[in-house]
Amino acid sequence: MIESPLLLQELLRKTAGGDAAAFALLYKHTASKLFGVAIRIAGRGEIAEDALQECFVAVWQRAGDYDPMRGAAMSWLIAILRNCTIDRLRRQRTRPEGHAAPEDALSRLAAPDSADQGAELRALRACLDELEESPRRAVLLAYLYGLTREELAAHLAVPVGTVKSWIRRSLDRLRRCLDS
Amino acid sequence: MNYDSPELREQLAAEYVLGTMPVLVRRRFERLLATDPGLRQVVEGWTARLGPIDRTAVAQEPPARVWRAVERRLALTPALAAARPGWFGSLTFWRGAALAATALAAVAILYVAVRVPPAPTSVVAILSDDQGNPGWIALGARGDGIAVAPIGKIAVDAAHAFELWAIAEGPPRPLGLLASEPGHQLMVQASLVPPDGVLAVSVEPAGGSPTGLPTGPVRYKGNILPREP
Repeated sequence: MIESPLLLQELLRKTAGGDAAAFALLYKHTASKLFGVAIRIAGRGEIAEDALQECFVAVWQRAGDYDPMRGAAMSWLIAILRNCTIDRLRRQRTRPEGHAAPEDALSRLAAPDSADQGAELRALRACLDELEESPRRAVLLAYLYGLTREELAAHLAVPVGTVKSWIRRSLDRLRRCLDS
Repeated sequence: MNYDSPELREQLAAEYVLGTMPVLVRRRFERLLATDPGLRQVVEGWTARLGPIDRTAVAQEPPARVWRAVERRLALTPALAAARPGWFGSLTFWRGAALAATALAAVAILYVAVRVPPAPTSVVAILSDDQGNPGWIALGARGDGIAVAPIGKIAVDAAHAFELWAIAEGPPRPLGLLASEPGHQLMVQASLVPPDGVLAVSVEPAGGSPTGLPTGPVRYKGNILPREP
């Protein structure tokens, strides 16, 4: 389903007014994209399913909070979905074994001929490229796959303290780069 | 901690969006967010900065049980079926019904096993443009008629008209000119709408195609859905 920003915005507005049909249509238009994001973060289907369910329950209850002036409807939905997914993930004791090869998505993000050549993504990629390799990987692994500081430390074979300072400095540099 | 420091606020917001905050810190941060609109803006800034990464995720169809669970938890089904008597010809009804029916049909298309709540009408087809935006809906009315109505606002200039076609085997068959004003609908005999076929809307000269076959571009189309028993 192709997402049309204005359609989603309108559906959210109606959802806020208690229109269940608009809400169902909103689900139809966005669920597969959101599920894809959740699967990537959670690494396995059941957590992603729970997160998607939580996400839409929250959307029904909070649709009135959405303000079109402050960003696209899809971004708002993804932000809720991400929070639901991370909360679910953190409640789970065990991590899926060897969640999908991180390198795949990293390289897709890095590939110059990536299918999505949106200006924002290009700018972000350029700024990510300015970071050193390991800190960049730490940031991307956290965002893409929901890794905790401890998991990052294990994955990258460095102390947790190092991960913390990498992330802190990388995010600061990213902000300066993107806002400039 | 001094939450007034702009630097700290940026830092916390960034780690919140990145997802690397320990759970308890995360909870505490969310409590702060609830009462601090300024901090929410800082978070939104980070959502916008990192958000483009999510575009690289591959869309994947979730199982039908997810939507069913959402519906159950929010007790939505009665709302979807709550069409009132006197609905026929009511503008609000048609808008609502179109949307409701679209939603129901969507669920039916995506999830074959879903139980469709009772509704006064059944969806025959949703006609969408090539961007996937629904433009017209065909609803099985009582008796053997099918009503085709616009969803939202659809405009065509005075020199042209929208014409509806049924396509199955053989050449497209003209079903009539559509009224694009909301609240109007074209009634078609159900027997003219072939199961397993396609309904399409083309742009024709005012008065309809002079040849009996589509002459202009097809603007909307949709598969005819299996009829309910």
